[in-house]
Amino acid sequence: MSLEKVIFGFFVLLAATLNFGFFIGDLSDPSLHNVYELFAAVVVSLIATVLKFGDRTQIGAVHLATSLVADLQLIAAALVWGYATQISSTGLDGAAMASVVSLSGGALLANLVSVVLLVIETVSFHRR
Amino acid sequence: MAGPGLRGWRLSTRSAETSSTIFLILRRMRAPLIVLITIFAVSVLGLTLIPGRDEAGHAVRMGFFDAFYFMSYTATTIGYGEIPQPFTGGQRLWVMATIYLTVVGWAYAIGSLLTLLQDRAFRQALALQRFTRTVARLREPFLLIVGYGQTGQLLGRSLDAIGRRFVVLDVSGERVDVLDIDSYHADVPGLAADAGDPHTLGVAGLGHPRCEGVLALTDDDEVNLVVAMTAALLRPGLPVIARTVSPAIEQRMRAFGSPAVVNPFDRFGDHLRVALRSPASYQLMSWLESGPGADLPDRGRPPTAGRWVICGYGRFGRKLAEDLRAEGLEITVIDVRPDAAGGPGIVGDASEPAVMARAELDRAVGFVAGTDNDTTNLSLIAAARRINPALFIASRQNRPASAPLFAAMDTDRLLVPAETVAREIYAQLSTPLLWRFLQDMPARGDDWAAGIIGRLTRLCGPRLGSVWKVELTGRDAPALEPYLGAGDATVGGLLRHPQDRDRSLAAVPLLLHRDSGTVLGPDGDVTLEPGDQLLLAGRPSARRALLDTMTHHAVSEYVLTGRTVPSGWLWQRVTGKVPRRPAS
Repeated sequence: MSLEKVIFGFFVLLAATLNFGFFIGDLSDPSLHNVYELFAAVVVSLIATVLKFGDRTQIGAVHLATSLVADLQLIAAALVWGYATQISSTGLDGAAMASVVSLSGGALLANLVSVVLLVIETVSFHRR
Repeated sequence: MAGPGLRGWRLSTRSAETSSTIFLILRRMRAPLIVLITIFAVSVLGLTLIPGRDEAGHAVRMGFFDAFYFMSYTATTIGYGEIPQPFTGGQRLWVMATIYLTVVGWAYAIGSLLTLLQDRAFRQALALQRFTRTVARLREPFLLIVGYGQTGQLLGRSLDAIGRRFVVLDVSGERVDVLDIDSYHADVPGLAADAGDPHTLGVAGLGHPRCEGVLALTDDDEVNLVVAMTAALLRPGLPVIARTVSPAIEQRMRAFGSPAVVNPFDRFGDHLRVALRSPASYQLMSWLESGPGADLPDRGRPPTAGRWVICGYGRFGRKLAEDLRAEGLEITVIDVRPDAAGGPGIVGDASEPAVMARAELDRAVGFVAGTDNDTTNLSLIAAARRINPALFIASRQNRPASAPLFAAMDTDRLLVPAETVAREIYAQLSTPLLWRFLQDMPARGDDWAAGIIGRLTRLCGPRLGSVWKVELTGRDAPALEPYLGAGDATVGGLLRHPQDRDRSLAAVPLLLHRDSGTVLGPDGDVTLEPGDQLLLAGRPSARRALLDTMTHHAVSEYVLTGRTVPSGWLWQRVTGKVPRRPAS
């Protein structure tokens, strides 16, 4: 067991679970989606991305790509949230919340792919 | 020549080199980036959790948007003040902590990046990447020079002067840096790396389709062997020229393919033998080897009978003693090591007068200072001259810095290994026909060589003009095609003057090469055939005149037959005088 693998797996999974936690619940209901959870999801996703830097294998490259997609979606969600709370005249209404949550839903898909890749990597490692 | 396996090998080395730098940066930046993200996240989170107070005195919490905005300008030390309301004591306490935290985070990240840029491994990776790219982009034939010491630099300058491209590989970074200072016409890619590694050779272009030869010129015989071996195994058929001073290594090199091995000690001995046997051949050889503009060297005649004294019985002394004995000369060897001195030798330090006296220099004819120490060699020469001023003196110069001292000593024969090797290889690469001529020429004897020197000095004076090769092919000599095919062109006929065919050009044919064989110093009545190669020495003006004869139909008609025809199409038709065209 290597500590590096533990940390790597931990962050990849945590990014997916936080993302899932934020995403679950009625799309347009702001009371079901905690903004702290979104913040945690963004931070963990960024850390997971940096952890994937510098891996020269094919699977490492796909890992990095999925992470970058998740970052992009989550940052977009955070921007929409910031726009809705600070700039928009209507405030954080149902429509704005729905777009924030659906963007994070896209990130969730990317994070799930990441987890699948992690599982594939682990399984193929054992087969060798 | 390049099989599929080899191509794959080349490609894999290239893709590996190009991406390594970016991966190195990413890998090293992992920790600083994660630290920075964490510090930011903790600071922002803390700001949103600590309650502030609005104008009315109600407790409000800062939003993520404001918190991130505040942290962004605080962490980057810009600092716009406290927003949206003045902070409470608790908030200020937290901000104080985060200011120091974020500054540390930024300093760590930027510091890591700068360290990375200064890092030797990183710079090497960058240099390797740039080198790989430059070599891969070469679109003209190039030579791979391994070892850029004295020999490599001498050779590099001469090769650059005749417009040849090359790539340099040396284990020392300082020598590769010399490339930047040397003013070359062409861009010369250089890499400081271990040439004993086949991978390095691959990066330097061994697998490149335009690589036309490998020169192994390092000081280390082992490395040269490895280079010759690698080239023979990975690119069979690629010309390899390797330098060595050890006969054993030479044997091992020859086991792989057919590299041209240059042993300076061996060459010096061979040249001395040529000089002993036929001074004119040696004179012609050194004249032609010196290159354009060289004055005719003196025909120094080494003593062919008598006793020679050799100081220093290492690889050089041993080789030389062998050659001199083969010429039937008597040898006395002086060396410090008893086992090295051999049978008739004197054991002792030759710089001691008592040891020198035992060699009985006053009754000797030749003296060789052949140790590997220049100071010793110089003092030995001085001592020997004092005992017997008439001695024929040969010496070995090891370091380039000693050149002026040896020049002031005015020895009869001087071996400078680096120069000998560079000159030999240059002759082989620049004009292979000249190389061939020099190899075969001593066998023709002294009188023949004296005859050639006589013709050259009569026609061109005591200064060598240029030595060049002409190919009598349809491409290079279109105007000669009809005559060559019919067998109407002779060497003498070709070398007539285009303005007055009763005069001959100031050029001497040195060698005629055709598939069926080689003729040294062809006579004027030798018939030329299509595809012949001719090596000539003479004035540059003769070279231009010959070019006219080879390319201009009216000129070739006049030079070969004496018929004057107009050169323009219209006048040819009007007068009915048309130069001969190819039979087809």
